[in-house]
Amino acid sequence: MVTILDKTIPNELTELTVQQFEDITTIHADKELDVIEKHLKVFSLFGFTEDDFEDTSIEDFKMYVKQFNTLNNKIKIKKSIIIDGFKYTGFPGKQFILSVKDTKFIEKILNTKNRGYISEVLSVLFKRDDLTKTEHYAAAHIKHKAKLIKELKADIAIPYIVQISKKLSKSIKIQDETTSVMEGN
Amino acid sequence: MKLPQSWKEIDVYKFKEIRSTSHIEEMFTRDIEIISVLLDISPDDLEDYDIDVISKMIKDITFINSEPSKIFKKEIDNFIFKPLQKLTCGEFIDIEHYLSTDYMQNIGHIAAILYKKFKINEWDEVVYEPYTYSVKQRCEQFDEVCINDIYGIIPEYLNFRANFLENYSPLFQNTDDDDDDDDYRPKTSDEKKAIQEEKSAKKWSWERLIYNLCNDDLTKFHDITNLPLILTFNMLSMRKELNL
Repeated sequence: MVTILDKTIPNELTELTVQQFEDITTIHADKELDVIEKHLKVFSLFGFTEDDFEDTSIEDFKMYVKQFNTLNNKIKIKKSIIIDGFKYTGFPGKQFILSVKDTKFIEKILNTKNRGYISEVLSVLFKRDDLTKTEHYAAAHIKHKAKLIKELKADIAIPYIVQISKKLSKSIKIQDETTSVMEGN
Repeated sequence: MKLPQSWKEIDVYKFKEIRSTSHIEEMFTRDIEIISVLLDISPDDLEDYDIDVISKMIKDITFINSEPSKIFKKEIDNFIFKPLQKLTCGEFIDIEHYLSTDYMQNIGHIAAILYKKFKINEWDEVVYEPYTYSVKQRCEQFDEVCINDIYGIIPEYLNFRANFLENYSPLFQNTDDDDDDDDYRPKTSDEKKAIQEEKSAKKWSWERLIYNLCNDDLTKFHDITNLPLILTFNMLSMRKELNL
Protein backbone atom coordinates (compact mmCIF):
# COMPACT_ATOMS: atom_id res chain seq x y z
CA MET A 1 0.00 0.00 0.00
CA VAL A 2 1.10 3.57 -0.58
CA THR A 3 -0.17 6.79 0.98
CA ILE A 4 -0.90 9.70 -1.31
CA LEU A 5 -2.51 12.92 0.00
CA ASP A 6 -3.48 11.16 3.25
CA LYS A 7 -5.23 8.39 1.32
CA THR A 8 -3.90 4.81 1.28
CA ILE A 9 -4.25 3.03 -2.03
CA PRO A 10 -3.05 -0.37 -3.34
CA ASN A 11 0.04 -0.42 -5.52
CA GLU A 12 1.69 -3.81 -5.00
CA LEU A 13 0.74 -6.65 -7.34
CA THR A 14 -0.47 -8.55 -4.30
CA GLU A 15 -2.90 -5.70 -3.60
CA LEU A 16 -4.12 -4.65 -7.05
CA THR A 17 -6.70 -6.78 -8.83
CA VAL A 18 -6.11 -8.03 -12.37
CA GLN A 19 -8.92 -5.66 -13.45
CA GLN A 20 -7.14 -2.67 -11.87
CA PHE A 21 -3.83 -3.71 -13.39
CA GLU A 22 -5.49 -4.00 -16.82
CA ASP A 23 -6.97 -0.52 -16.41
CA ILE A 24 -3.56 0.91 -15.52
CA THR A 25 -1.85 -0.70 -18.52
CA THR A 26 -4.65 0.49 -20.81
CA ILE A 27 -4.14 4.08 -19.60
CA HIS A 28 -0.38 3.85 -20.12
CA ALA A 29 -0.91 2.50 -23.64
CA ASP A 30 -3.14 5.45 -24.59
CA LYS A 31 -1.13 7.52 -27.06
CA GLU A 32 -3.60 10.40 -26.86
CA LEU A 33 -2.57 11.19 -23.27
CA ASP A 34 0.61 12.91 -22.14
CA VAL A 35 2.61 11.64 -19.15
CA ILE A 36 0.90 13.82 -16.52
CA GLU A 37 -2.56 13.02 -17.89
CA LYS A 38 -1.77 9.31 -17.73
CA HIS A 39 -0.76 9.47 -14.06
CA LEU A 40 -3.79 11.60 -13.15
CA LYS A 41 -6.02 9.08 -14.87
CA VAL A 42 -4.33 6.18 -13.03
CA PHE A 43 -4.88 7.96 -9.69
CA SER A 44 -8.50 8.57 -10.65
CA LEU A 45 -8.97 4.78 -10.62
CA PHE A 46 -8.43 4.98 -6.86
CA GLY A 47 -10.86 7.82 -6.21
CA PHE A 48 -8.68 10.88 -6.79
CA THR A 49 -9.91 13.78 -8.88
CA GLU A 50 -7.79 16.24 -10.83
CA ASP A 51 -8.78 18.92 -8.30
CA ASP A 52 -7.19 16.90 -5.47
CA PHE A 53 -3.78 17.63 -7.01
CA GLU A 54 -4.50 21.30 -7.69
CA ASP A 55 -2.21 22.55 -4.90
CA THR A 56 0.39 19.79 -5.32
CA SER A 57 3.78 20.91 -6.62
CA ILE A 58 5.22 19.08 -9.62
CA GLU A 59 8.02 17.69 -7.40
CA ASP A 60 5.48 16.23 -4.94
CA PHE A 61 3.42 14.82 -7.82
CA LYS A 62 6.53 13.14 -9.24
CA MET A 63 7.24 11.68 -5.79
CA TYR A 64 3.68 10.24 -5.57
CA VAL A 65 4.10 8.66 -8.98
CA LYS A 66 7.46 7.19 -7.96
CA GLN A 67 6.00 5.81 -4.71
CA PHE A 68 3.08 4.29 -6.58
CA ASN A 69 5.36 2.69 -9.13
CA THR A 70 7.83 1.26 -6.61
CA LEU A 71 7.15 -2.42 -6.02
CA ASN A 72 8.68 -4.14 -3.03
CA ASN A 73 7.53 -7.71 -3.36
CA LYS A 74 9.15 -10.12 -5.79
CA ILE A 75 6.60 -12.57 -7.06
CA LYS A 76 6.90 -16.14 -8.23
CA ILE A 77 4.78 -17.92 -10.78
CA LYS A 78 1.89 -19.89 -9.26
CA LYS A 79 1.20 -23.15 -11.04
CA SER A 80 -2.40 -23.40 -9.95
CA ILE A 81 -5.19 -21.43 -8.30
CA ILE A 82 -8.48 -22.28 -6.61
CA ILE A 83 -11.58 -20.31 -7.53
CA ASP A 84 -15.01 -21.18 -6.10
CA GLY A 85 -13.68 -24.58 -5.04
CA PHE A 86 -12.38 -25.49 -8.49
CA LYS A 87 -8.69 -26.00 -9.19
CA TYR A 88 -7.28 -24.28 -12.28
CA THR A 89 -3.79 -25.25 -13.53
CA GLY A 90 -1.65 -22.89 -15.59
CA PHE A 91 0.83 -25.40 -17.04
CA PRO A 92 1.61 -29.12 -16.78
CA GLY A 93 4.91 -30.29 -15.31
CA LYS A 94 7.34 -28.28 -13.23
CA GLN A 95 8.42 -25.61 -15.70
CA PHE A 96 6.23 -23.11 -17.47
CA ILE A 97 5.47 -24.11 -21.04
CA LEU A 98 3.46 -22.21 -23.60
CA SER A 99 1.73 -24.81 -25.70
CA VAL A 100 1.17 -24.41 -29.44
CA LYS A 101 -2.60 -24.48 -28.95
CA ASP A 102 -2.50 -21.82 -26.22
CA THR A 103 -0.20 -19.68 -28.38
CA LYS A 104 -2.72 -19.74 -31.23
CA PHE A 105 -5.48 -18.50 -28.91
CA ILE A 106 -3.26 -15.94 -27.20
CA GLU A 107 -2.00 -14.58 -30.52
CA LYS A 108 -5.57 -14.02 -31.64
CA ILE A 109 -6.40 -12.20 -28.40
CA LEU A 110 -3.29 -10.01 -28.62
CA ASN A 111 -4.07 -9.16 -32.25
CA THR A 112 -7.67 -8.19 -31.64
CA LYS A 113 -7.98 -6.83 -28.09
CA ASN A 114 -6.74 -3.42 -27.02
CA ARG A 115 -7.89 -3.68 -23.42
CA GLY A 116 -8.72 -6.47 -21.03
CA TYR A 117 -6.38 -8.87 -22.72
CA ILE A 118 -4.47 -9.93 -19.57
CA SER A 119 -7.44 -11.69 -17.99
CA GLU A 120 -8.35 -13.30 -21.29
CA VAL A 121 -4.79 -14.50 -21.93
CA LEU A 122 -4.73 -16.01 -18.44
CA SER A 123 -8.09 -17.63 -19.00
CA VAL A 124 -6.54 -19.51 -21.93
CA LEU A 125 -3.63 -20.70 -19.79
CA PHE A 126 -5.54 -21.68 -16.63
CA LYS A 127 -7.53 -24.83 -17.22
CA ARG A 128 -10.03 -26.28 -14.79
CA ASP A 129 -8.70 -29.70 -13.77
CA ASP A 130 -12.06 -31.44 -13.93
CA LEU A 131 -12.92 -30.32 -17.49
CA THR A 132 -11.97 -31.67 -20.92
CA LYS A 133 -9.82 -30.08 -23.61
CA THR A 134 -12.88 -29.14 -25.66
CA GLU A 135 -14.39 -27.31 -22.71
CA HIS A 136 -11.12 -25.50 -21.89
CA TYR A 137 -11.16 -23.65 -25.19
CA ALA A 138 -14.90 -23.05 -25.58
CA ALA A 139 -15.44 -19.32 -26.16
CA ALA A 140 -18.09 -18.99 -23.43
CA HIS A 141 -15.89 -20.80 -20.91
CA ILE A 142 -12.89 -18.58 -21.68
CA LYS A 143 -15.07 -15.50 -21.24
CA HIS A 144 -16.36 -16.83 -17.92
CA LYS A 145 -12.83 -17.60 -16.68
CA ALA A 146 -11.65 -14.12 -17.72
CA LYS A 147 -14.41 -12.59 -15.60
CA LEU A 148 -13.31 -14.64 -12.57
CA ILE A 149 -9.63 -13.85 -13.12
CA LYS A 150 -10.30 -10.09 -13.25
CA GLU A 151 -11.21 -10.27 -9.55
CA LEU A 152 -7.97 -12.03 -8.55
CA LYS A 153 -4.87 -10.22 -7.38
CA ALA A 154 -2.45 -9.18 -10.11
CA ASP A 155 0.42 -11.22 -8.64
CA ILE A 156 -1.21 -14.26 -10.28
CA ALA A 157 -1.16 -12.68 -13.71
CA ILE A 158 2.12 -10.81 -14.02
CA PRO A 159 4.58 -13.72 -13.84
CA TYR A 160 2.59 -15.42 -16.61
CA ILE A 161 2.58 -12.29 -18.76
CA VAL A 162 6.36 -11.99 -18.25
CA GLN A 163 6.91 -15.63 -19.25
CA ILE A 164 4.68 -15.33 -22.32
CA SER A 165 6.42 -12.12 -23.40
CA LYS A 166 9.81 -13.82 -23.01
CA LYS A 167 8.79 -16.79 -25.11
CA LEU A 168 7.05 -14.81 -27.82
CA SER A 169 9.81 -12.21 -28.14
CA LYS A 170 12.36 -15.03 -28.41
CA SER A 171 10.34 -16.54 -31.26
CA ILE A 172 9.91 -13.17 -32.96
CA LYS A 173 13.69 -12.64 -32.73
CA ILE A 174 14.27 -16.01 -34.43
CA GLN A 175 11.76 -15.05 -37.13
CA ASP A 176 13.50 -11.74 -37.73
CA GLU A 177 16.90 -13.44 -37.88
CA THR A 178 15.79 -16.07 -40.36
CA THR A 179 14.05 -13.50 -42.57
CA SER A 180 17.07 -11.19 -42.56
CA VAL A 181 19.38 -14.12 -43.38
CA MET A 182 17.30 -14.81 -46.47
CA GLU A 183 17.15 -11.15 -47.46
CA GLY A 184 20.92 -11.02 -47.05
CA ASN A 185 21.30 -13.91 -49.43
CA MET B 1 10.58 -35.35 -36.43
CA LYS B 2 12.74 -34.69 -39.47
CA LEU B 3 12.18 -31.48 -41.34
CA PRO B 4 13.20 -30.92 -44.96
CA GLN B 5 16.28 -28.77 -45.37
CA SER B 6 15.71 -27.23 -48.79
CA TRP B 7 13.24 -26.86 -51.63
CA LYS B 8 14.87 -29.96 -53.14
CA GLU B 9 12.79 -32.01 -50.71
CA ILE B 10 9.50 -30.23 -51.41
CA ASP B 11 7.03 -31.26 -54.09
CA VAL B 12 4.64 -28.92 -55.90
CA TYR B 13 1.68 -29.92 -53.73
CA LYS B 14 3.51 -29.04 -50.50
CA PHE B 15 4.83 -25.84 -52.02
CA LYS B 16 1.27 -24.74 -52.76
CA GLU B 17 0.21 -25.63 -49.22
CA ILE B 18 3.09 -23.60 -47.75
CA ARG B 19 2.35 -20.59 -49.94
CA SER B 20 -1.36 -20.79 -49.11
CA THR B 21 -0.53 -20.02 -45.47
CA SER B 22 0.43 -16.46 -46.44
CA HIS B 23 -3.14 -15.27 -45.83
CA ILE B 24 -2.88 -16.23 -42.12
CA GLU B 25 -2.28 -12.98 -40.28
CA GLU B 26 -1.10 -14.46 -36.98
CA MET B 27 2.62 -15.21 -37.20
CA PHE B 28 2.75 -18.18 -34.82
CA THR B 29 -0.39 -19.75 -36.23
CA ARG B 30 1.16 -19.48 -39.70
CA ASP B 31 4.43 -21.04 -38.48
CA ILE B 32 2.54 -23.94 -36.93
CA GLU B 33 0.65 -24.53 -40.19
CA ILE B 34 3.90 -24.52 -42.18
CA ILE B 35 5.61 -26.95 -39.79
CA SER B 36 2.62 -29.29 -39.96
CA VAL B 37 2.72 -29.21 -43.77
CA LEU B 38 6.43 -29.95 -43.81
CA LEU B 39 6.07 -32.80 -41.33
CA ASP B 40 3.00 -34.18 -43.07
CA ILE B 41 0.97 -34.10 -39.89
CA SER B 42 -2.14 -32.32 -38.70
CA PRO B 43 -1.59 -29.01 -36.83
CA ASP B 44 -3.54 -30.64 -33.99
CA ASP B 45 -0.70 -33.12 -33.50
CA LEU B 46 1.57 -30.22 -32.55
CA GLU B 47 -0.78 -28.53 -30.13
CA ASP B 48 0.82 -29.80 -26.90
CA TYR B 49 4.39 -28.85 -27.86
CA ASP B 50 6.02 -25.83 -26.27
CA ILE B 51 6.21 -22.85 -28.63
CA ASP B 52 10.02 -22.86 -28.17
CA VAL B 53 10.13 -26.19 -30.03
CA ILE B 54 8.30 -24.63 -32.98
CA SER B 55 10.64 -21.62 -32.94
CA LYS B 56 13.65 -23.94 -33.10
CA MET B 57 12.06 -25.75 -36.04
CA ILE B 58 11.43 -22.46 -37.83
CA LYS B 59 15.12 -21.67 -37.41
CA ASP B 60 15.90 -24.90 -39.28
CA ILE B 61 13.71 -24.13 -42.27
CA THR B 62 14.93 -20.72 -43.36
CA PHE B 63 14.73 -21.90 -46.96
CA ILE B 64 10.96 -21.35 -46.99
CA ASN B 65 11.58 -17.59 -46.97
CA SER B 66 13.47 -17.87 -50.23
CA GLU B 67 12.32 -18.73 -53.73
CA PRO B 68 12.83 -22.22 -55.17
CA SER B 69 15.38 -22.64 -57.96
CA LYS B 70 14.62 -20.67 -61.10
CA ILE B 71 16.44 -23.20 -63.26
CA PHE B 72 13.72 -25.55 -64.38
CA LYS B 73 13.94 -28.97 -65.99
CA LYS B 74 13.23 -29.11 -69.71
CA GLU B 75 12.21 -32.76 -69.43
CA ILE B 76 10.06 -34.30 -66.70
CA ASP B 77 9.12 -37.96 -67.04
CA ASN B 78 7.56 -38.26 -70.51
CA PHE B 79 6.92 -34.52 -70.87
CA ILE B 80 9.08 -31.83 -72.43
CA PHE B 81 8.88 -28.07 -72.02
CA LYS B 82 7.29 -26.48 -75.08
CA PRO B 83 9.24 -23.38 -76.16
CA LEU B 84 7.15 -20.31 -75.35
CA GLN B 85 7.52 -18.95 -78.89
CA LYS B 86 5.60 -22.02 -80.04
CA LEU B 87 2.60 -21.48 -77.77
CA THR B 88 -0.80 -21.52 -79.39
CA CYS B 89 -3.34 -18.82 -78.87
CA GLY B 90 -5.49 -21.12 -76.71
CA GLU B 91 -2.56 -22.15 -74.51
CA PHE B 92 -1.62 -18.52 -73.97
CA ILE B 93 -5.16 -17.53 -73.01
CA ASP B 94 -5.40 -20.38 -70.50
CA ILE B 95 -2.03 -19.56 -68.94
CA GLU B 96 -3.12 -15.93 -68.64
CA HIS B 97 -6.22 -17.09 -66.79
CA TYR B 98 -4.23 -19.21 -64.30
CA LEU B 99 -1.64 -16.48 -63.91
CA SER B 100 -4.21 -13.80 -63.16
CA THR B 101 -6.04 -15.75 -60.47
CA ASP B 102 -3.17 -17.00 -58.24
CA TYR B 103 -0.15 -18.27 -60.05
CA MET B 104 1.45 -19.78 -56.94
CA GLN B 105 -1.59 -21.97 -56.45
CA ASN B 106 -1.91 -22.59 -60.19
CA ILE B 107 1.72 -23.46 -60.90
CA GLY B 108 0.71 -27.09 -61.52
CA HIS B 109 -1.93 -25.98 -64.04
CA ILE B 110 0.57 -23.75 -65.82
CA ALA B 111 3.09 -26.63 -65.90
CA ALA B 112 0.39 -28.91 -67.29
CA ILE B 113 0.02 -26.52 -70.25
CA LEU B 114 3.71 -25.84 -70.82
CA TYR B 115 4.98 -29.43 -70.52
CA LYS B 116 3.81 -31.69 -73.33
CA LYS B 117 4.02 -35.26 -74.43
CA PHE B 118 5.84 -35.43 -77.74
CA LYS B 119 7.12 -37.59 -80.55
CA ILE B 120 9.82 -37.27 -83.19
CA ASN B 121 8.48 -37.32 -86.73
CA GLU B 122 10.13 -38.77 -89.82
CA TRP B 123 11.97 -35.42 -90.31
CA ASP B 124 13.50 -35.68 -86.80
CA GLU B 125 11.36 -32.80 -85.64
CA VAL B 126 9.67 -32.65 -82.26
CA VAL B 127 5.90 -32.87 -82.56
CA TYR B 128 3.93 -31.84 -79.47
CA GLU B 129 0.70 -33.49 -78.42
CA PRO B 130 -2.40 -31.46 -79.26
CA TYR B 131 -3.87 -29.29 -76.53
CA THR B 132 -6.97 -31.42 -76.07
CA TYR B 133 -6.26 -32.96 -72.66
CA SER B 134 -7.76 -31.85 -69.32
CA VAL B 135 -5.40 -29.40 -67.60
CA LYS B 136 -7.04 -30.11 -64.24
CA GLN B 137 -6.32 -33.84 -64.52
CA ARG B 138 -2.83 -33.37 -65.92
CA CYS B 139 -1.83 -30.93 -63.16
CA GLU B 140 -2.22 -33.69 -60.56
CA GLN B 141 0.81 -35.40 -62.12
CA PHE B 142 2.84 -32.26 -61.56
CA ASP B 143 1.82 -32.06 -57.88
CA GLU B 144 4.29 -34.86 -57.17
CA VAL B 145 7.20 -33.22 -58.99
CA CYS B 146 9.92 -31.41 -57.00
CA ILE B 147 9.13 -27.68 -56.94
CA ASN B 148 12.71 -26.88 -58.00
CA ASP B 149 12.08 -28.75 -61.26
CA ILE B 150 9.26 -26.50 -62.44
CA TYR B 151 9.27 -23.26 -60.40
CA GLY B 152 11.50 -21.56 -62.99
CA ILE B 153 8.75 -21.74 -65.63
CA ILE B 154 7.01 -18.85 -63.87
CA PRO B 155 9.80 -16.25 -64.19
CA GLU B 156 10.53 -17.65 -67.66
CA TYR B 157 6.92 -17.14 -68.71
CA LEU B 158 6.66 -13.72 -67.02
CA ASN B 159 9.74 -12.62 -68.93
CA PHE B 160 8.26 -13.87 -72.21
CA ARG B 161 4.94 -12.23 -71.36
CA ALA B 162 6.55 -8.85 -70.63
CA ASN B 163 8.32 -8.89 -74.02
CA PHE B 164 5.17 -10.09 -75.75
CA LEU B 165 3.00 -7.34 -74.24
CA GLU B 166 5.60 -4.76 -75.17
CA ASN B 167 5.89 -6.00 -78.75
CA TYR B 168 2.14 -5.94 -79.23
CA SER B 169 1.42 -2.99 -76.94
CA PRO B 170 -0.93 -1.22 -79.41
CA LEU B 171 -3.25 -4.25 -79.19
CA PHE B 172 -3.36 -4.15 -75.39
CA GLN B 173 -3.72 -0.41 -74.92
CA ASN B 174 -7.47 -0.42 -74.26
CA THR B 175 -7.16 -3.16 -71.66
CA ASP B 176 -4.52 -1.21 -69.76
CA ASP B 177 -6.74 1.87 -69.70
CA ASP B 178 -9.56 -0.18 -68.19
CA ASP B 179 -7.39 -1.06 -65.19
CA ASP B 180 -7.09 2.60 -64.21
CA ASP B 181 -10.86 2.98 -63.95
CA ASP B 182 -11.37 0.41 -61.19
CA ASP B 183 -11.83 2.99 -58.38
CA TYR B 184 -13.82 5.48 -60.43
CA ARG B 185 -17.39 6.09 -59.26
CA PRO B 186 -19.88 6.91 -62.03
CA LYS B 187 -21.84 10.14 -61.61
CA THR B 188 -24.80 9.45 -63.92
CA SER B 189 -26.80 6.36 -64.79
CA ASP B 190 -25.53 6.54 -68.40
CA GLU B 191 -21.98 6.60 -67.16
CA LYS B 192 -22.73 3.63 -64.89
CA LYS B 193 -24.17 1.71 -67.85
CA ALA B 194 -21.14 2.53 -70.00
CA ILE B 195 -18.77 1.34 -67.27
CA GLN B 196 -20.79 -1.84 -66.84
CA GLU B 197 -20.58 -2.50 -70.58
CA GLU B 198 -16.85 -1.86 -70.49
CA LYS B 199 -16.47 -4.32 -67.61
CA SER B 200 -18.43 -6.98 -69.50
CA ALA B 201 -16.29 -6.36 -72.57
CA LYS B 202 -13.16 -6.79 -70.44
CA LYS B 203 -14.52 -9.98 -68.86
CA TRP B 204 -15.15 -11.52 -72.26
CA SER B 205 -12.21 -9.89 -74.05
CA TRP B 206 -10.45 -13.13 -75.06
CA GLU B 207 -13.65 -14.79 -76.18
CA ARG B 208 -14.62 -11.67 -78.10
CA LEU B 209 -11.21 -11.57 -79.77
CA ILE B 210 -11.44 -15.20 -80.89
CA TYR B 211 -15.05 -14.78 -81.99
CA ASN B 212 -14.00 -11.79 -84.00
CA LEU B 213 -11.19 -13.76 -85.64
CA CYS B 214 -13.67 -16.54 -86.46
CA ASN B 215 -15.71 -14.00 -88.40
CA ASP B 216 -18.62 -14.84 -86.08
CA ASP B 217 -18.43 -18.51 -87.09
CA LEU B 218 -18.30 -20.45 -83.82
CA THR B 219 -17.34 -23.71 -85.56
CA LYS B 220 -13.93 -22.17 -86.26
CA PHE B 221 -13.28 -21.38 -82.57
CA HIS B 222 -10.82 -24.25 -82.05
CA ASP B 223 -9.12 -23.56 -85.38
CA ILE B 224 -8.23 -20.12 -84.08
CA THR B 225 -7.17 -21.20 -80.57
CA ASN B 226 -4.89 -23.82 -82.14
CA LEU B 227 -3.10 -21.21 -84.22
CA PRO B 228 0.39 -20.16 -83.13
CA LEU B 229 0.17 -17.18 -80.75
CA ILE B 230 2.79 -15.12 -82.56
CA LEU B 231 1.11 -15.64 -85.95
CA THR B 232 -2.28 -14.65 -84.52
CA PHE B 233 -0.98 -11.46 -82.97
CA ASN B 234 1.01 -10.56 -86.05
CA MET B 235 -2.22 -10.82 -88.05
CA LEU B 236 -4.12 -8.78 -85.45
CA SER B 237 -1.41 -6.11 -85.57
CA MET B 238 -1.64 -6.01 -89.34
CA ARG B 239 -5.44 -5.68 -89.20
CA LYS B 240 -5.18 -2.87 -86.70
CA GLU B 241 -2.49 -1.02 -88.63
CA LEU B 242 -4.28 -1.32 -91.96
CA ASN B 243 -7.66 -0.72 -90.36
CA LEU B 244 -9.03 -3.94 -91.89
